[in-house]
Amino acid sequence: MKSHKKIGLICSPGGHLVEVLQLEEAFKDYSFFFLTYREKATLNRKDTYCMSNFSKNPFSLITGILKILYIFLKERPRVLFSTGAEIAIPSFYIGKVLFRTKLIYLECSAQVYTPSLTGRWVYPLTDLFLVQWETLLSEYGPKAKYVGGLI
Amino acid sequence: MGDSAKRVRAQSKICGRLNLIFVTVGNDFRAFDRLLKKMDEIAPSLPEKVLVQKGYSTYCPKHTEYFDFVPMNLATEYLLKSRLVVSHAGIGTIILCKQHGIPLLILPRRKKHEEHMNDHQLEVAQALEKRKDGNIHVLYEEDRLREKVLEILGEKGRGRTVEDMGRLNLIHAVREFLQTTLR
Repeated sequence: MKSHKKIGLICSPGGHLVEVLQLEEAFKDYSFFFLTYREKATLNRKDTYCMSNFSKNPFSLITGILKILYIFLKERPRVLFSTGAEIAIPSFYIGKVLFRTKLIYLECSAQVYTPSLTGRWVYPLTDLFLVQWETLLSEYGPKAKYVGGLI
Repeated sequence: MGDSAKRVRAQSKICGRLNLIFVTVGNDFRAFDRLLKKMDEIAPSLPEKVLVQKGYSTYCPKHTEYFDFVPMNLATEYLLKSRLVVSHAGIGTIILCKQHGIPLLILPRRKKHEEHMNDHQLEVAQALEKRKDGNIHVLYEEDRLREKVLEILGEKGRGRTVEDMGRLNLIHAVREFLQTTLR
């Protein structure tokens, strides 16, 4: 039986989403929901919330934050998991500060030598921080872990 | 669970590196000392750490860590951390290695050495050998064990690397975190 404890899976559509779906097995014992951008490539499933892409239009970050608040109030996630991109930043800060969620961040496998902007922003908050290239470990602090990558 | 198993477990939580050759002889009540003795003899000259599940075998390796039995989930964890699994021709191990794409070297238990009740393991080994599956390797006598192990580990594209295992290791790391966090 699935645990009622909820996990929020947060990512932009495309490769970040493919990476989350690669790890879906890790979440199978829990209930979870997706939070992603409203785009053509977005997942078409019932458990998915969409917000407008604030990397395209920074003003939509304001409505985005309200939307995140609404979703978290409704779903009450205990853990947030993200592979990026910047959609993780407001979600992780709101989750950590207002809802005391635990945070898992998996740096995208596109980051071989250079940390992503999102990675730098969320690193201090995360409870589990995974990178997909060993070469990236030295760029982050001791909290970063490498256990392998998806590509 | 023996001390050595606990130690390996503790280490395995720290990182998901593939650094094992996992030797497993299953749950049959008969000993499979032939494999264990040879493995023990060659272990110091192998490039990876050898961990042995000896089951009811009487022989206790001197050069490797070993345990008799551990729960299934832990055995699977060892399997997932292995670059190569060396085992009897037991179905459980064969299925798990096939499922996870882990290179497997099998040495069938033989009736003539009183390692099993009949020679079904020989038949299984022969049938699998015919299939020429790149991930399953077969030996019938233990004398060439070292050469065979080194050959599999050394072959390009054979013997798993941490890169091959990324997805499973990541799933494992996330699951482990969730299990401890969401108790």
